[in-house]
Amino acid sequence: MPLRRRDNLLTWLVVGPFAIVLAFPFYWMLQTSLKSELDLYNTENNPFAFGEGSPTLDNYRFLFGETQYGHWLLNTVLVGLVVVAITLAVSLPAGYALARLSGRWGQTLGVGLFLVYLVPPTLLFLPLSRVVAEVGLQDRLAALILVYPGFTIPFATWLLMGFFKSIPRELEDAALVDGASRLRTLFWIVFPISLPGILTVVIFTFSLCMNEFIYAIAFITSSDSKVVSTGIYTELIRGDVFYWGALMAATLIPAIPLALLYNTFLDRFIAGFTGGAFR
Amino acid sequence: MPRRRRRNLLEERRFLAPALIAPAVIFVGLLVGAPLILSVYLSLTNATAGSLTGDFVGFDNYASQWSDPNFRTAFRNTIAFTLLANAIVVLGASVLAHFLVREFRGKWLMRFLVLLPWAAPVALSTIGFLWIFDSLFSVVNWTLKELSLVDQFNPPQWLGEPNKALAAITTVHAWRLLPFATVIMIAGLASIPKEVDDAAKVDGATGLKKLWYVTLPLQLPIATIAVLFGIVFTATDMAVVYILTRGGPFNSTQMLPMWAFQTGIQGGSLGEGAAVALFLLPVLAIVTVLMLLFARRVEVT
Amino acid sequence: MRDGSSTHSDGGGQEMAGGRTTRREIVKRAGVGTILVVYGGALPKTAASGVPKYRTRELAGTLKIIQWSHFVPAYDKWFDNVYIKRWGQANDTEVIVDHINQADIPARAAAEVAAQSGHDIFFFLTPPAAYEDQVIDHAEIVQEVTKKRGKIKPVAFKSTYNQKTKKYFAFSDNYAPDPCNYRTDLWGEVGLKPTSWDNVLKAAPKLRAMGHPIGIGMSNEIDSNVALSALMMCFGSFIQNKEQRVVLNSKATVNVLKFARELYRQGMSNEIFAWTAASNNQAMLAGRLSMAMNAISITRSAELINPDLASKIELLPIPRGPNGRLGLEHVMGAYVVWKFAKNKPMAQKFLADLEIKYIGAFENSKFYNFPSWPASVPNIARRVERDAVAKPSGKYKILAEIADKYTLNPGWPGNTNAAIDEIFQKFLIPQMFAEVAQDRRTPEEAAKIYDRSFRGIFQKWRNLGKI
Repeated sequence: MPLRRRDNLLTWLVVGPFAIVLAFPFYWMLQTSLKSELDLYNTENNPFAFGEGSPTLDNYRFLFGETQYGHWLLNTVLVGLVVVAITLAVSLPAGYALARLSGRWGQTLGVGLFLVYLVPPTLLFLPLSRVVAEVGLQDRLAALILVYPGFTIPFATWLLMGFFKSIPRELEDAALVDGASRLRTLFWIVFPISLPGILTVVIFTFSLCMNEFIYAIAFITSSDSKVVSTGIYTELIRGDVFYWGALMAATLIPAIPLALLYNTFLDRFIAGFTGGAFR
Repeated sequence: MPRRRRRNLLEERRFLAPALIAPAVIFVGLLVGAPLILSVYLSLTNATAGSLTGDFVGFDNYASQWSDPNFRTAFRNTIAFTLLANAIVVLGASVLAHFLVREFRGKWLMRFLVLLPWAAPVALSTIGFLWIFDSLFSVVNWTLKELSLVDQFNPPQWLGEPNKALAAITTVHAWRLLPFATVIMIAGLASIPKEVDDAAKVDGATGLKKLWYVTLPLQLPIATIAVLFGIVFTATDMAVVYILTRGGPFNSTQMLPMWAFQTGIQGGSLGEGAAVALFLLPVLAIVTVLMLLFARRVEVT
Repeated sequence: MRDGSSTHSDGGGQEMAGGRTTRREIVKRAGVGTILVVYGGALPKTAASGVPKYRTRELAGTLKIIQWSHFVPAYDKWFDNVYIKRWGQANDTEVIVDHINQADIPARAAAEVAAQSGHDIFFFLTPPAAYEDQVIDHAEIVQEVTKKRGKIKPVAFKSTYNQKTKKYFAFSDNYAPDPCNYRTDLWGEVGLKPTSWDNVLKAAPKLRAMGHPIGIGMSNEIDSNVALSALMMCFGSFIQNKEQRVVLNSKATVNVLKFARELYRQGMSNEIFAWTAASNNQAMLAGRLSMAMNAISITRSAELINPDLASKIELLPIPRGPNGRLGLEHVMGAYVVWKFAKNKPMAQKFLADLEIKYIGAFENSKFYNFPSWPASVPNIARRVERDAVAKPSGKYKILAEIADKYTLNPGWPGNTNAAIDEIFQKFLIPQMFAEVAQDRRTPEEAAKIYDRSFRGIFQKWRNLGKI
């Protein structure tokens, strides 16, 4: 239920500064991306105002017209979606099993899966390059699709383990008593109820994929197969020249829709939390 | 006949559980476990320049790295950054989550703004910070100069002086993790059953009392998980340091993953690089196990 | 049509109209036609199929190259869309070129070696001595080019030849000289010219007082590496001697560290410790720096963004020090052919052909790429002098002299070996200077400590048989 005016104010006073600090870099990126070069590289100019030649859409035009940016965006989304699918397919059963079926050694396994994160990818990418090459996937997006689940699955399994644990056993037991097999129970009863958890996994997994950098650099060099992070690095930083305007534009473009998306789903999954499993 | 037996098999807990877990274990084992073992092997050799084989040298790499001051700086920094950034994150996320679970005007917008750092790929948003901290065009410095708070000619070099660079890197880590932690905390808060809420009200616990005796304890397990992930993501992250300072100025902002990269890949001493990367593993493993045990213990069912 | 001809290899400069053309327009003009070719071919492709870029007829073989994204976009456009297409047709081979950020070259190289698969030809911006075991002996290519174009330049030779193993561990097609860029108007006010380091030190306080400091970086990036190493050599301080023994701990080293510290105290600002490779460019282009050591990327960028400023920046060889005038190559293009390359014969032929007819590369890189075989580009002196865009005209004439007389290899007087490579890749020289400049170590201490550290590195590679 909505808060009284005074509580509203208090909330704004607290949340406001956070929001400002967190979002300021993005405002700054927007500002920079709309400036012309002449304006941008002049130290006399007020960076918060628009000077000579600004505001301009040149940077955006450059981004889409003269680099393969659109392509990279598509690649990034493609990789993200497929990896999410693979992750869900593998983690849902695993999370369930660890939550319900495995008892003591399941816990150890759960911890073991988590320990995976402790190894920095800064060196793992070397042996993995070998694997990728042997399988013939070098320079292809499929290489990333193959490797990313390695670090998304543990996290997803973890999350799902937590969700499944919070679903009352009575639901499943009821179904079992009615004669359904365990597998059926799994598919028709448990998974639908864990939709919020699945949504969370989708969001987190997608975000992990988008953030990945080292593997993408090591495995893929052909321009059409690059993802956003690596493409930006290669084509907008040439030797000792940074194309700042375009760089800022390039960051803004995926961030805003994603944040919108996350924001929308957040409501749903929280509602699911409070409404669904707890009655 | 065989069909029935198969279905019975899958009914058996003993078989169903492994069957369901197997794909995950296989994936992770192949993609992480195997390379990890290879890395351990490499750390005991003098492999160079990307070659996956070398002569066995025992623990020489570990020893020589331990006596390297740059390594020690990297080790110290890793621990310092991680603790500091995550302390900020935990405090910030708890407060933020507390307010964001309520309904208030403009909530959607506020949440959108808060989620932004998380939505942007870390490599790109760090470049954004590179621009914000630029040695010449930094907007921070411009503002400070306008307000006459700093020297016009020699403004603070956020990436060029060791302490400031450390602060800058910690800031970026915290900035990036805050939304993530907040979301986890919100989930934790929202999952507190209504009955508990109502019970607390009946008992007369409101405001601060409620916070201390009810909310916080219930949040503890989830908070611990959030902190754990935060720690892991910070300690093993290379992108932020790589993009902002490359470990400079004069290697004062090195972190273990970055130093491992610089030694093993850029410097060509693969064996040493592997040793550096693996140094953190036991420490993190112990921290992880401890925190997980803690989380389990404070779980209120 | 203008757009098409601008990417061809005739005498440079027609693509630019007079007046204030922005970089965007240049790129657009030069690239309109070629973009259509590239994107027209790119659109029907699926992301994961890896179908090659263009196919006019079935070609017999394939050749895969990876190189840096050249700071001059026009070079990449020419190379990708004109040169390799032409060569590929003539040699019945499909040539595919991928680009990578110069900073990410080590990671990708290591990955390809670990994978034992990747491109046929790999490009490095500094001689990759550490990868010697992973590549073929490039002697044949060197001999082929030497037959047609005479001797290789000593700087390229010493950078790519290992004295101990007698192997050419890379093929150098080009190098970039490192001139001193300075503001004629500001130095004019002070009444000096940066012809010697003494002059620089004399002018520095005055210039800084005017708000225009000197800009020699002391940061973990390539420009700092090169500038400081060259400064050392001018003072007689060397990392190794001809026999490849570490000689860092010397009076000359202490002197140069003291000098750099003085220069920082009196004439530079603290931004130099935070620089990226782009920072000195940006600072000079913003009108702040009065002097910087950099390849011509600064002047070329200025011509596009701020022609007024460009006319105030002139080039000189590196200032003279007590030990004379010794400069370093800014970058050296070093191609390698991996041992596991699938198309070695074509790879070797490609590299040889590239060097033998280097005019196109030279012109399209706007004189950034100087040929390692000077005879590959006839009349270099005249070409650089006649650059149409240069203001004041004839500005680039000095480049030929710098390339000829004042450009040495990293690790001079010895060869560039794996230890030098490692020292460079880990930015240990800028680190040493920065520590002294920020008063964290005395010059004597620093010289001793780094000498010891370098000995350790040298010993390691000696044990591996590379030195």
